Amino acid sequence: MNGLDAPILPSSIAWGLLIAFSILWVALGWWLGRHNKTAEDHMLAGRNVGMALATATAMATWVTANTTMTAPQLALQLGVWGMLGYSLGALGLILFAPLARRIRELMPRGFTSGDFIRLRFGTFTWRVFLVVSLIYAFGWLVSMAMAGGVLINALAGIDYRVGMTVILTVCVIYTLLGGLRAVIGTDFIQTIIIIAGAAFIAWLTIDKVGFEAIHFNLMEERPELLSLLFPAAIMFLFNNLLFGVGEIFHSNVWWSRAFAFGRNVGFRAYLLGGLLWLPIPIVAGFIALATPALGINVPAADMVGPLVAAEVLGLTGAIVVFIVVFAALASSLDSLLAATSDLVTRDIYRGHIRPQASEQSQFRATKVIVVLLGLLTWLAASYRGSLPIIGSLAELLYFTGAFVASAIWPIVAGLYWQRANPQGAAWSMILGSGVGLASYFLIGFYVAALVGAAVSLAVMVLSTWLAPRPFDWDRLARDDVQPKGSPA
Amino acid sequence: MRWPAMSAARSLLLALLWLPLAVQAAPAFDAPPERSTDGGFTLSWEAAGAVALEQAAGPDHGDARIIYEGHDTSTVVSGLPDGEYRFRLRASDADDWSDTATVRVEHHSLARAFGFFVLGGVVFLVLIVAILRGRPRG
Repeated sequence: MNGLDAPILPSSIAWGLLIAFSILWVALGWWLGRHNKTAEDHMLAGRNVGMALATATAMATWVTANTTMTAPQLALQLGVWGMLGYSLGALGLILFAPLARRIRELMPRGFTSGDFIRLRFGTFTWRVFLVVSLIYAFGWLVSMAMAGGVLINALAGIDYRVGMTVILTVCVIYTLLGGLRAVIGTDFIQTIIIIAGAAFIAWLTIDKVGFEAIHFNLMEERPELLSLLFPAAIMFLFNNLLFGVGEIFHSNVWWSRAFAFGRNVGFRAYLLGGLLWLPIPIVAGFIALATPALGINVPAADMVGPLVAAEVLGLTGAIVVFIVVFAALASSLDSLLAATSDLVTRDIYRGHIRPQASEQSQFRATKVIVVLLGLLTWLAASYRGSLPIIGSLAELLYFTGAFVASAIWPIVAGLYWQRANPQGAAWSMILGSGVGLASYFLIGFYVAALVGAAVSLAVMVLSTWLAPRPFDWDRLARDDVQPKGSPA
Repeated sequence: MRWPAMSAARSLLLALLWLPLAVQAAPAFDAPPERSTDGGFTLSWEAAGAVALEQAAGPDHGDARIIYEGHDTSTVVSGLPDGEYRFRLRASDADDWSDTATVRVEHHSLARAFGFFVLGGVVFLVLIVAILRGRPRG
């Protein structure tokens, strides 16, 4: 039986690939971002991204460490429902399509999701939102850095910390050089690599192992994975859907793109990006079900994807997996670094620390914050397996589920309900996160987002019904670039 | 008399030096879980070399089978139905099992599972209606 003690990719090839692609991404980052002069260029790519690049960046950013590494993990842990449930994350992108159009209409000069919450609901709700948003962003960053280290460790046996450090450093450097323009440009190339690579791996897996062998061995050794009445998997289905919706609706990764895409591009780009994304988790997750048929030992659940692919496909497969996952990781890690540094710059540095900050000092602050985020991420990802929450990719990711799902309703109500109660929006996030977290620890990781979203909905509806607060939509367009305390 | 005394002292010293290695050489589970509600868990162990890991569903180990043999120090078990599962661990080249672990799998009830499913369905439907019908009023 094979496992981690027999890595399939020689470390010399792994280092060669790592260095070659690192140079490619950093060079592209420098080339694409060489004309950035202002914070707006750096953060929003001139607000005129076209349809092809917009669709590619929506899809590639959503194909993350989570998709390529966590989808197989969930297939291994929750079976067929885990795999299909994961693909429901596509609904997050699809449902964000109408929101993107509305965001662009309401805030033509907006910068961040924090801007919207501040103007729509006031300072208290804005601060609660920033806490929720930053916890999620940080959890996602750490999970992707972990995925990078796990991937390199699983395929080539290179030390986890070394691989994680290299991937994180590369992404920090090219995000630093190119800003959102570099992120979107590299996303386009990474999308092509991801789609072609995933299709190739799935085709080879089915061709080499076959459905019959996979089914027989699962029935013998892990029968619950094929059961349609697998309780934890049934609980997981809507949890994952709402988690995906929460991630996209609140995160500045997607808001910054809604602001950056050209007029009338956002709706179509998010819709098409979601449809293109839908089959990716099924393709990526399916290969994990071949584990019993192949007799592979999986030392840690989040390693299953690369281990199976490398085992089935041999050296060529290991190289393809390496390139695909590196592309997927880079396309998300850079997006998140860029969007989170924007949020910290606009909403914390300019919003709370230096309201009078000039364009140039914001531009500089954005870069310093990218580096600081990279360092913090590295520190947390170094503790993989040592701390309870940073145990595996899925555990860490779904820990943030309670926070993000509780932000769904403040965003939806804020965009569409004219009488939404601002205090209710804050408390829907606080109570939704609290009860969602309690369910994470008391029941399991597969219900945290679901419970968070349900509690948040109840608080938002009740508060708005009991104490409606009318809002003038035009305020968003009038005030959208003026943080609290800044000059008019 | 002098030489046997030195020999005994040397033997004692050697025994003391080798004791930790001998203890380390016998593979042992590292805090195995006692219960699982989703049919899955990770078993990890401390071992100096290759190990054999056996899984059985019955107390007499009648249906036992080796689920892993090699140098890894953990394995992910998943997809198990309700039941009590027994695991035994030994060094690959040893005849005797050096450690055992028992994990009870007790899945959530279907009533609870469908309760969460319905709750999720309701939240999702409200979300769809809110977006489709969502127009600024006033």
